[in-house]
Amino acid sequence: MKILREANIMVLLLTFFSLALVPLTYERFYIYLMSLFMIYSIFSLSYNLLFGYAELLSFGHALFFASGAYTTALFTLNIFSDPLIGLIVSAFSSIPIALVVGLLTLRHTRIYFSILTLAFGMLAYALLVKWRDVTGGSDGLVGIPKGGVLIDITSPHLYYYFIFAFYCLVTISLYMLTKSKWGLLIRALGDNEDRLPFSGHSPMFVRLFTFTISGFVASISGSLYAILMGVVTPDIAYWTFSAEPLVMTLLGGSGYYLGPILGAFIFVILTTALARFAEYWQLILGIAVIAVILGFRGGIGGVIESFYKGRTRFRRDVYGNPESGRFN
Amino acid sequence: MIDQALLSQIAIGLYKGSFYWLLAAGLTLIFGVTRIVNFAHAAFFVLGGYLMYSFYVLTGSFLLSLITSLAATGLLGALTEITLIRRIYGVPSIYQLLLTFGVTLILNDSQKLVWGKFPKYIDVPGYLKGSIQIGAISYSYYSLLLVMLGFLIFLLLHLSINKTMWGLKVRAVWRDPSVAQTLGINPKKLYTMIFLIGTALAGLGGSLIVVLHPVGPGLGDHLIIYAFIVVVMAGLGNIVGAFVVSLLVGVLSSIFAWLIPEVDILLIYLIAALSLLVRTGGLFGER
Repeated sequence: MKILREANIMVLLLTFFSLALVPLTYERFYIYLMSLFMIYSIFSLSYNLLFGYAELLSFGHALFFASGAYTTALFTLNIFSDPLIGLIVSAFSSIPIALVVGLLTLRHTRIYFSILTLAFGMLAYALLVKWRDVTGGSDGLVGIPKGGVLIDITSPHLYYYFIFAFYCLVTISLYMLTKSKWGLLIRALGDNEDRLPFSGHSPMFVRLFTFTISGFVASISGSLYAILMGVVTPDIAYWTFSAEPLVMTLLGGSGYYLGPILGAFIFVILTTALARFAEYWQLILGIAVIAVILGFRGGIGGVIESFYKGRTRFRRDVYGNPESGRFN
Repeated sequence: MIDQALLSQIAIGLYKGSFYWLLAAGLTLIFGVTRIVNFAHAAFFVLGGYLMYSFYVLTGSFLLSLITSLAATGLLGALTEITLIRRIYGVPSIYQLLLTFGVTLILNDSQKLVWGKFPKYIDVPGYLKGSIQIGAISYSYYSLLLVMLGFLIFLLLHLSINKTMWGLKVRAVWRDPSVAQTLGINPKKLYTMIFLIGTALAGLGGSLIVVLHPVGPGLGDHLIIYAFIVVVMAGLGNIVGAFVVSLLVGVLSSIFAWLIPEVDILLIYLIAALSLLVRTGGLFGER
């Protein structure tokens, strides 16, 4: 386990290094694919903070992705045409949204929390579809500028490194967060909520903190998505979009910090690259999901760890808790 | 005049509610007994619709196609239980949800593969055409049949669980599978049976809806949320609750959609959010 913890940083640095080299290929498709990968990584990392660490299963995480994307679009189109400022404004405006939604939903646990977040997520979706004057309805908003007043990232290399910078920033700060006192508190919330108050902290406060950080980071990924695509449509607020980071996290292994990144990589390859060749990629994804659940419940991360430990059969529950026997 | 319009909205709502009930009945039954949140339920519902379409095109007989499609969907559900779901009864519920999510993805794409991208529907059979006049409200025979069938299924389900020997076994397994086992009940067999009945109910709902509503890709993704909302609002696994909440949601949403047309799709989520904020365990659930 010690080796793996050190390996986390090593692997993270390795991904930084190899991602930095991607634009040197001068292949627009690879640049686009890896940009998408970094955005999905940020999104699913933010999701894993809730799901893997705090054990809160949200079905409405697309709400924050969409809020980031739409705020960026509205801000750059109507107020000040600059992607960087748009991103910063939308990231900070997601905080009050996360606080309000969090205060309403976090009083509930288990499936009730899941369904409530789902309801709020779908309310946002319905609002985006119905409030046509502002959000453009189901057509969405087009023409989000890459070139702004302060910075210009129109060329593929420039926007790639723009996304890359945020990718590095988010992965490093979230890693530091999970290693800090707050990271321990978030883990404690997931492990044993009843004992958390013994340490003198309010579970509700820790929950709200986690939810807000998670929403904040998710909205950054949404902004980056809006800037990359230049278009936002309400699809990114639909519940199926909330299920995507969940699938990514589980594929990679939710008990590991790097799990969501690994899962996002597999997901992007499966959905984007495979979709070029096979029309029925959902079928393949479905089989992959079932294989993970039946065979490798720790995700790919679990397979790698068991390889390190020289074990053939791997048993570890979703939250990286080795005592998963109690569930069986 | 306003009363007439309101009454006809209630009538439409009842029909809509029966449709939600057909969707939610199997889901809540399966959850109540096996504790599996079956994400693939709506995919089975849609499959029922597609099968009905194909059988109807093939045979031309409404009743025969209905029974075949219902049985085929149920059998496929039981097969899924035996091959996949049986392996995950003990694990945390998130994995159960995800496994059935995987099944949904596979079912969705297979349906696209077999029936194509365009929605399918069939016409109301000749002997069910026409409508009945109750006061000033005109109700088509077919929707009346749907409402009555919904009520009949509710009665059957409720009575067979609460009044029969088989129902006693179901309740015993629901309370405690291991104690039930010591009494000579085979929970494995019962779980497969419950899956058979639950998915057959979904197949029935799908077969009936394909007559009024085109069935196509994406419909399942949309419906599963409605089903979840109804089932959770009612209190998970509560059959009486699910029936009442289905009708209530149907009636409320059609009344509000008539009063304030703009909020149409917002409504069900608003109802769900409000009811869960007020009463956590669902309206009929244990607190």
